[in-house]
Amino acid sequence: MKRLIQLLIACSSMLMLGGCWDREEVNDLAIITAAAIDAKENNQIELSVQVFVPQSISSGGSGGGGGGQSGGAAHTIVRFQTGSNLSDALSKLQSKVPRKIFFGQCKVYIFGEELARRGIQEHMDFLLRYPEPRERASMYISEGNAKKLLELQPPLERYSAEVARELSSMHIGMEVPLQDLDEMLIGSGKAAALPYLGLLPPDKGEKKIQGIPYILGSAVLKEDKMVGTLSGKSTRGLLWIRDEIDNYTVTLKLEGEEGEISVQALTNHVRLIPHISDDKWSVRIKARTEAMVIQNGTNLELSNPDSLRAAEEALESEIKKRIEVVLQQVQHEMKADILNFGRAFYRKYPRQWKENEHRWSDLYPELNVEIAVEANINRQGFIDKPGGLPEEAVKKK
Amino acid sequence: MIRNTRRLFRKKQGKHPYLLNNDQISKPQTAVSENLDQNIYKLSEVYDACSDVVFRRCQLFGKTKAAIIYIEGLSDVEGIEDYVLAPLMQEAEAESQTIHELLELKLPVSKMKKIYKLADCIESISSGNPVLLYDGGSHAWSLGLAKWEKRGIEEPIAEGGIRGSREGFSETLEVNTSQLRRIIKSPALKIQHMKVGRFTKTTVAVSYIEGIADKGLITEITKRLERIDIDGILESGYIEELIEDNPYSPFPQLLSTERPDIACSSLLEGRAVILVEGSPFILVAPTSLISLLQSQEDYYQRFMMGNLIRWLRYTFSALSLLLPSLYVAILTFHHEAVPTALLLSIASSREAVPFPAIVEALLMEIIFEALREAGVRLPKQVGSAVSIVGALVIGQASVQAGLVSAPMVIVVAITGISSFMMPRYNAGIAIRMLRFPMIFLAGTLGLLGIMLGIIAIVIHLCSLRSFGEPYLTPLAPFKAEELKDALWIAPLWKMDTRPHLTGDSNTYRQSENQEPNQGKGRPST
Repeated sequence: MKRLIQLLIACSSMLMLGGCWDREEVNDLAIITAAAIDAKENNQIELSVQVFVPQSISSGGSGGGGGGQSGGAAHTIVRFQTGSNLSDALSKLQSKVPRKIFFGQCKVYIFGEELARRGIQEHMDFLLRYPEPRERASMYISEGNAKKLLELQPPLERYSAEVARELSSMHIGMEVPLQDLDEMLIGSGKAAALPYLGLLPPDKGEKKIQGIPYILGSAVLKEDKMVGTLSGKSTRGLLWIRDEIDNYTVTLKLEGEEGEISVQALTNHVRLIPHISDDKWSVRIKARTEAMVIQNGTNLELSNPDSLRAAEEALESEIKKRIEVVLQQVQHEMKADILNFGRAFYRKYPRQWKENEHRWSDLYPELNVEIAVEANINRQGFIDKPGGLPEEAVKKK
Repeated sequence: MIRNTRRLFRKKQGKHPYLLNNDQISKPQTAVSENLDQNIYKLSEVYDACSDVVFRRCQLFGKTKAAIIYIEGLSDVEGIEDYVLAPLMQEAEAESQTIHELLELKLPVSKMKKIYKLADCIESISSGNPVLLYDGGSHAWSLGLAKWEKRGIEEPIAEGGIRGSREGFSETLEVNTSQLRRIIKSPALKIQHMKVGRFTKTTVAVSYIEGIADKGLITEITKRLERIDIDGILESGYIEELIEDNPYSPFPQLLSTERPDIACSSLLEGRAVILVEGSPFILVAPTSLISLLQSQEDYYQRFMMGNLIRWLRYTFSALSLLLPSLYVAILTFHHEAVPTALLLSIASSREAVPFPAIVEALLMEIIFEALREAGVRLPKQVGSAVSIVGALVIGQASVQAGLVSAPMVIVVAITGISSFMMPRYNAGIAIRMLRFPMIFLAGTLGLLGIMLGIIAIVIHLCSLRSFGEPYLTPLAPFKAEELKDALWIAPLWKMDTRPHLTGDSNTYRQSENQEPNQGKGRPST
């Protein structure tokens, strides 16, 4: 017992010695919700952070519920600082913020377009090396200056970073966490695609500041430098090839028919099949999709196998067209392998890959790409005949 | 400095003498004399200045001098008058019969005992049985006419329940043992009495079922009880503290209950039960941590419900130990570990709070404990009102004043509720007590500190024993066969084996094939 008490005293004094060194109360934190990095002249950069203002959500227990959105104080403020690199800017920025800047909850990082064209490697190093930033944080490139996106005060979410994150989590465009961006840049392709953010201006009547960031398309990086952008439609094609397409709605125009048919995806599956014969490298993109009809504007009865086949063929060619568009841009114009072709070859032909890795940048634009799409429409929705159309007008083949 | 601390904790050398007290010095070990006056003289010397002792002299059958000695309030006065004095004071019809024969013939008292020593006379008088002394007899009679005011059988207050017996133990030992006997009607139920305490002479009963309980266990319990040499036993808590294995552990090593059904289920599992006169709480030995977390209703409800409720209880027991410390740790060290939206809400509610999280947590927990203690001590009529007002003031007013954050109040409230889920009050106290060092650890070392605390607690639990049984059994040492009543509850018809405690065991407690409806719904022909 005596020993136990001695041990306890010794242990408790150890608590006093070792404890508390990194203790930080929530009241003393400046919680960063988003960070933007822009290029400045003289090779300087500007770090802007969106700081959450705790007082903005009802304080002191006066009924937490709906306080805030309209009229109240802004939920976030923006602070910025130039510096020669990120850590330099951050240390200077700290002198402008009375609380400790805390990146642990920052889930959105936006690179300005100019900075991205200069190269993001050294900034990536900081984000990956410094303990606070999350590896699951989403990465973006903005059209023009990135700082302006942080200053927005969206009407529907608490802060603009949340808008960007929610939008990309819907898989309309790319969603790239920090970790994945790192893997893309060091992987076999040595290229990356990031969501490309634009500013959706506010409607008439809304305050000027109430715009939101939205996803314009994708920005393509080769090595660590931005080389171009893809439109929203091309991004869909990109998602197809990367097998990241989740949900789509395609509107089809059938040959020789009036009106359009819209279908929505049920399942999608895309495979890249690389092939090497006689030193000729080629890739076959094999896509399978199942879809359901959500609107039928024609007078076709889709329960008829012939009409259905026609619709399926139209869907196949539509998907093929989307893929071809992005291939043209990415493979032949930008010459950036964000399509995972390199990885596919590495997996199937590891030895040939190793021998030819150094000339992949030459091989890639010359690749012969074949596209095979197999589409099935196997659900009609609640009705089979065109809705609201008299029986006689329905065309039966 | 270390030497000084050592001196501080050094045990005082030398034994203090526990002198024989007056009672024992004066207790005459002499035999009852044939001379009545001499006996009365000796007894009145012992009972000097005890005005509640009544010496009633009389003539036995008109020929022999006699006296009845009893203590007022402990004996049935009407019984003495009607069944002892009245028949004794009649003139004897026949001369031939001896006094001895006449006594056996005339006294309509069922429990009569011959005693030969004055010491036994004193003991009999003290426990309420009047003593009859008469001239010429070399012995006295102890008459079983003890009767005093006692509380009736009432519902157990500290251990409520929806389903199951509503009877609780009371302060009277005989009533308590009779309650055991009423449930277990077999003569294999043994009840051994012994007296503990020099002044109180409290009767302590050890009860067990012969053939199920290990004999070594009973010997050990008896040995430990006999060791006790103390002025008085006022509650079974005294016994608990004097016989437990590890007195420096926060965890109770004996289960205390005021429910006869729990006592009997423990007996049927091969445990022993210690009943103490004057206390409605009986002790069960040996006890494990798991059995402190089991409630009688786990078994009275159907087994699915039992499982659900038991797991709920396990979860909330862990919560009641860890929730405040987890909150403190995350809020002071691990801000990235909570979802953003939650952290933002907490941050905004903590904005005006002047204390660090650990101070806030300690403050609230201590106030809550104080409230609870006050609620127990206050007179019943004001108790609930005061505790409600206290909770309102602390819950609402302190948040509105910005002294405490609302999430902290929620955390404290959940912790409070979960500590009430412990079915055994003393196990709950252990967890309540450990909560505070855990908060300290969390406030200084964060989640690492919590892990260290948990590891220390688990190591301590592993080292505990209760009358030879490891405290964490059946988890450590692992007994797969007994998990059916620890991690989950098997249906009653599957619980074929008894828990194996110390020593020998009688393995099966029911015959096989107890599963109902084996005919798959067809009525048996």
